[in-house]
Amino acid sequence: MREKETTLYLGPQHPGITGNIMVKLKVAGDTVVKAETHVGYLHRAFEKLMEQRTWIQCFPIVCRICVPEPDPNEENLARAIEEIEVREVPERAKYIRVMVLELARLATYGLWMGGQSGSMGLYTMPQWTVGDRDYIIDLFEELTGGRIYHMYIWAGGVRRDLPEGFTDRVLKVLDYLESRLPDYDNLLFNNAMFRKRAEGVGIIPKDKALEWGVVGPPLRGCGIKHDVRIDEPYEIYDKLDFEIPTAEGCDVWSRALVRRQEYEQSISIIRQVIDKMPGGDYYNKIPNPLTWKVPPGEAYVKTESARGEFGYYAVSDGSDKPRRIHVRGPAYVHGVSLLEKILVGANVADVSFIMNSLGTCPPEIER
Amino acid sequence: MTYDKNSKKIVDIIQSFARKHSLWILGYGTGCGAIEIPPTMTSRYDGERFGLRGAATPRQADVLLITGYLATKTLKRVIRSYEQMQSPKYVIGFGSCTINGGMYWDSYNTINALDQYLPVDVFINGCMPRPESVISGFIELQKLIAEGRADGAEKYQKNLEWYRENQKKVIHNWKMPDYNW
Amino acid sequence: MNRKECTENTCTEQIQKIFHTAEVEVQREKRVKVKLRADLILPFLAYAKDYMNFKHLAHFSCVDWIEDNEFELVFMLWSYEANLMIMVKTRIDRSNPEFETLSHLWPQAETYEREMHEMFGVNFEGNNRLGEFILEDWEGIPPFRRDFNTIKYSQENFYQRPGREDAQNVRETVSKHSGKEVPDFAKEYSIRRIEE
Repeated sequence: MREKETTLYLGPQHPGITGNIMVKLKVAGDTVVKAETHVGYLHRAFEKLMEQRTWIQCFPIVCRICVPEPDPNEENLARAIEEIEVREVPERAKYIRVMVLELARLATYGLWMGGQSGSMGLYTMPQWTVGDRDYIIDLFEELTGGRIYHMYIWAGGVRRDLPEGFTDRVLKVLDYLESRLPDYDNLLFNNAMFRKRAEGVGIIPKDKALEWGVVGPPLRGCGIKHDVRIDEPYEIYDKLDFEIPTAEGCDVWSRALVRRQEYEQSISIIRQVIDKMPGGDYYNKIPNPLTWKVPPGEAYVKTESARGEFGYYAVSDGSDKPRRIHVRGPAYVHGVSLLEKILVGANVADVSFIMNSLGTCPPEIER
Repeated sequence: MTYDKNSKKIVDIIQSFARKHSLWILGYGTGCGAIEIPPTMTSRYDGERFGLRGAATPRQADVLLITGYLATKTLKRVIRSYEQMQSPKYVIGFGSCTINGGMYWDSYNTINALDQYLPVDVFINGCMPRPESVISGFIELQKLIAEGRADGAEKYQKNLEWYRENQKKVIHNWKMPDYNW
Repeated sequence: MNRKECTENTCTEQIQKIFHTAEVEVQREKRVKVKLRADLILPFLAYAKDYMNFKHLAHFSCVDWIEDNEFELVFMLWSYEANLMIMVKTRIDRSNPEFETLSHLWPQAETYEREMHEMFGVNFEGNNRLGEFILEDWEGIPPFRRDFNTIKYSQENFYQRPGREDAQNVRETVSKHSGKEVPDFAKEYSIRRIEE
């Protein structure tokens, strides 16, 4: 008996998708036969706008490229400029930057846990994790002045020093988050329903993963151990002691396991950073940032964000405005070409589940 | 239609009391500002005690929350969603991008002033607005409903020609129906 | 060759031995820069992917050099075994930009090519999904080219709310509107910043 094929638009207005993106599905019964991603609903032409602004004016605008986790963007742009201009960054600034990046990673994992369980119907988990994530956002507000968009890291260091007693408050928040992990385990990770639902769903074939350009937790969920913090250490990651967890299985369940273990690793990294933080300067001053010219050159820098490898290609031609800054987020590959391949054969109810596990974040696909 | 002055007041008071304490928000994250909606709705800044909750389809929603900038591609879908919502309906403009273009004022793809294309009842400024600002924006909307001044939907009906002209200037390929439900 | 021994210098030697017309240099630690003619790019990428184990296409970008009347295509390849990156650059003609597709080597390159076709106008032969990707119903030249003026386009097409002028001294404007004085600490901060 043949089934008729229908076209479904999992459109921009949908309560189950991660942002403003459309996936056009051809469905036979309950199985997806063909998938196409349509993007462009959030296009602001960042790279064109950055060509009209001076170098120091690019920093407030660059953090809005990736909405859940803005800090890797600022870090990348700062490091690209420092590489072209050969500018030194003081040690204390590097430690502060790593602390800010790892706190942002914890906050993004909290949001991911909420999204993944929300697409499954378990609404208690977002109430817990997004509420706990707010304590980290409070720390950011005390340090930088803004809840979501910090504009704190810039070329030469960071904008201001840590307030008094800040590290004690960070340690208190970390203790609280660690005490919540058994509750999260009980509800989500040791939950037989989640495991049954997630095992065997959204499989990436292991021998094609590198060729298809998979990065980040989806790659480590296939058992391949690569991470920018170890392959090409930036800032002070080569002085810290942490592990890179992997899991065999290549499906949604192993990606969830990888992220859960990285949550613990991030907490231990922040504790080491606070232990080892030196005194000193926090900023290598730019003489007159309003008329600042970067010498001609180009650079490509990478960071490991919570979703994968984030790359920036910056070109300067000696004037006070950038020539070309090209941003490549991890969702650029995961959300368009990889998603169209994985969704074939999945159930309709699993489409949003798989999108959440890959970390599809539409603002960084079309900037 | 004429009502007796007193009975109009009582019926209207009860109606607006019921409407303002149960506002259902359409589940459409149109821009950056959608990242501050989960904190507003979850355990820390509980939005559900004001009666706010999410609605899945336009037919079930009361409030359209335009969170941030609008690309022209999204504007077309937002207009269609707005026209499918049923009266009484309200629009809240969230963030400084809806007021005067915000950070993307010189971009070729984003619109600069939202109330030329859709009737807006309340603007909330900020980039992004804190969850407390969001809640204060909703309280302002509740006050407008209680006083009977939240009439964006009727403004849209009466001035449909003017809104359509502005929308067609920005959206070049108008393949949508010309009526307005 | 043993993949673990591939350092910057051995890579440079190997590339120069086979592709004589290439200009190869070591830019810094873990970065090798190669400049090639446009028709040699695909054989080079296939060779680097299969024989030198540069399996990861990290980035694929385009820069508009309007003064030279050329587009510059940039490819970034990363090798996970050697922890090394090759940056490959080539130039194509701006008035008739054509290139071959990479999708038989890396399926993800199709997304990059669709975006470059829409934003710069580069035509990739062999890629049959070129068309509307990010913009909808766009009439005009590809918007990321340097001769497209985005401020003028925005001012002509979108209604600008009056009262927003830029390059203004915000504190003075606000104090004029509200009738209150600019406080002393704010005056000192503004003056100090501009003089620095």
